[in-house]
Amino acid sequence: MNLTMSLMITSLIILIIPTLSNMHKHYPYYVKTLTQIAFLTSLLPALTFIYSNQDAVTSNWHWITVQTLELSINLKLDYFSMIFTPTALFITWSIMEFSLWYMKPDPNINKFFKYLLIFLTMMLILTTANNLMQLFIGWEGVGIMSFLLIGWWYSRTDANTAALQAIIYNRIGDIGFILAMMWFSTYSNTWNLQQLFILNTDPNLTPLVGLLLAAAGKSAQFGLHPWLPSAMEGPTPVSALLHSSTMVVAGIFLLIRFHPLMENNKTVQTLALCLGALTTLFTAICALTQNDIKKIIAFSTSSQLGLMMVTIGINQPYLAFLHICMHAFFKAMLFMCSGSIIHNLNNEQDIRKMGGLYKTMPLTSTSLTIGNLALTGMPFLTGFYSKDLIIETMNTSYTNAWALTVTLIATSLTAAYSTRIIFLTLLGQPRFLALMNTNENNPYFANPTKRLMVGSIFAGFIISNSIPPTDIPQMTMPPYLKLSTLLITTFGFILALELCLDSLSPNPKSPSPLHNFSTLLGFFPTLAHRMVPHLNLTMSQYTASQTLDLTWLEKTTPKSIAHLQTLAAMNVSNQKGLIKLYFLSFLITITVTTLLVI
Amino acid sequence: MPPIYINIILAYTASLVGLLMYRSHFMSSLLCLEGMMLSLFVLATILSLNLHFTLSFTLPIILLIFAGCETAVGLALLVMISDIYGLDHVQNLNLLQC
Repeated sequence: MNLTMSLMITSLIILIIPTLSNMHKHYPYYVKTLTQIAFLTSLLPALTFIYSNQDAVTSNWHWITVQTLELSINLKLDYFSMIFTPTALFITWSIMEFSLWYMKPDPNINKFFKYLLIFLTMMLILTTANNLMQLFIGWEGVGIMSFLLIGWWYSRTDANTAALQAIIYNRIGDIGFILAMMWFSTYSNTWNLQQLFILNTDPNLTPLVGLLLAAAGKSAQFGLHPWLPSAMEGPTPVSALLHSSTMVVAGIFLLIRFHPLMENNKTVQTLALCLGALTTLFTAICALTQNDIKKIIAFSTSSQLGLMMVTIGINQPYLAFLHICMHAFFKAMLFMCSGSIIHNLNNEQDIRKMGGLYKTMPLTSTSLTIGNLALTGMPFLTGFYSKDLIIETMNTSYTNAWALTVTLIATSLTAAYSTRIIFLTLLGQPRFLALMNTNENNPYFANPTKRLMVGSIFAGFIISNSIPPTDIPQMTMPPYLKLSTLLITTFGFILALELCLDSLSPNPKSPSPLHNFSTLLGFFPTLAHRMVPHLNLTMSQYTASQTLDLTWLEKTTPKSIAHLQTLAAMNVSNQKGLIKLYFLSFLITITVTTLLVI
Repeated sequence: MPPIYINIILAYTASLVGLLMYRSHFMSSLLCLEGMMLSLFVLATILSLNLHFTLSFTLPIILLIFAGCETAVGLALLVMISDIYGLDHVQNLNLLQC
């Protein structure tokens, strides 16, 4: 009998305690310390799992039975939740320590920490859920906390708009989730994952498409993606926690949880593959020309989420999960570095106004560089162990050639925009005002950054060598395939470096239409957010202000027919109206014919 | 051929020539169209009565009905032209200025 179950429940309870206690002066520090303790507590079950490969499921409290559907609190501690929990807790601990420094001047810092804690609890409910109702509670919970945290500075209209956008896009995804829940409760009579997996060996397309839609909404796939860059209106710790490591991977996590169903249905795999490939390329293109450092990192997150969706599309859920864990380390660190830069440059977020931070902020620039290298998949850093495996598996599998090409292009674009960030923020001459006090000596910033830096370098190696083996990785492939990731990344890096160096010389050119496409985010927000309501409202205004009589009695049938006929006649005919001539010719013809016959 | 038929056919031909050759007023061609319809009606009636062709007793009546509809359409067109141009001179019917 081991302590797996008790320790996991203990760590969950440790996280819930601060939400119930009163706020006192050292509340943030208290929350951070409790998160640290919860991380250490949850590390033990994870290590036990790695040692013994033993899953656990618990069914604690029976809530309700609706006819034949029994709902209870069900924790499923398997490979995914046991390894995700310590990772998430480690990241959250580091981010909470970072926000002790970042949000210090904020008067509502206690409430901020409480929100972060509630968010973390919801995320853990989501990952440890064994039935769909509990998952849904966690799902909605992270959505609500995302809304509250994005709109933290609620006096700002942009922040309110962004929070509303997040909720609406998540809601559209929830339609798919509820569709899947309803289908499962109708056809499999359960919301329990074990029973679902046994009963649905040949699943119908409907619930899987619903789950795919839910994942697309939560994980910002193409079509439901604009909320993620807009969510950068929230404070940087929120962006680091929610919108890079934890919440946005909830959608992918859902699909990973359902992998026994997804691996038997080829159609939904193809759908996921194409959706993910489209997302990763589109957001990588958008990231190339953004000027706000947080937006570039947000689009980078979106591109990596597309890559995770692609991994699910080639039927590799374990690789996708590995990428989730690895990606959390360096993405959270990138956001923390950008937070440090923003704070030190007195809330300047435009990279065109940064530069030369290489000498003045060494710790930040080091961690930014390491984070970017890990992101692009530099060999043997963290990102390499998941990203390179994904690309290798994709190259050697029987998959859609378009999706493969697009993913490779997006990988090279990753290197390109990472180079752009490093070049414009760290190198060159400073483009900010000269009297800037840059100070990164605060241990609340330095310690988490150093921790995550060590994690970005070593965690890939440690985790991928410790986890129990799942699928067989591809062992042999031709050398050009093995080196393909490295080659295209290097190509993207060199190309971006050339372009950045070229931009140093004064040679102003007006932006090309492709540049406009990228800067305006592919025209998607313009079309979806602005054009559709505008057309709707214009149409209803015209219909309402012009009376019904006019519309029905004139415009519908009578005048429109006349107008249409006139237009048609004018377009088609080439007569000149010489009626007398036509009639006369008719008469002469008849006369001559009659005379000939008679 | 009995002279009555020749008479009616001659009336038809006269109306036809009048329809196809007119000077300026559009109304005159419409009137000649009516004349054609009338002569056809009489021809059909006399033929079916003289030949005791019972099954074609309905032909003249149906012909009259359709002639009536056609008159209505023709008059509507005439009114429209007259509305736009003020007169029904046929040299006005220039489609370029419709």
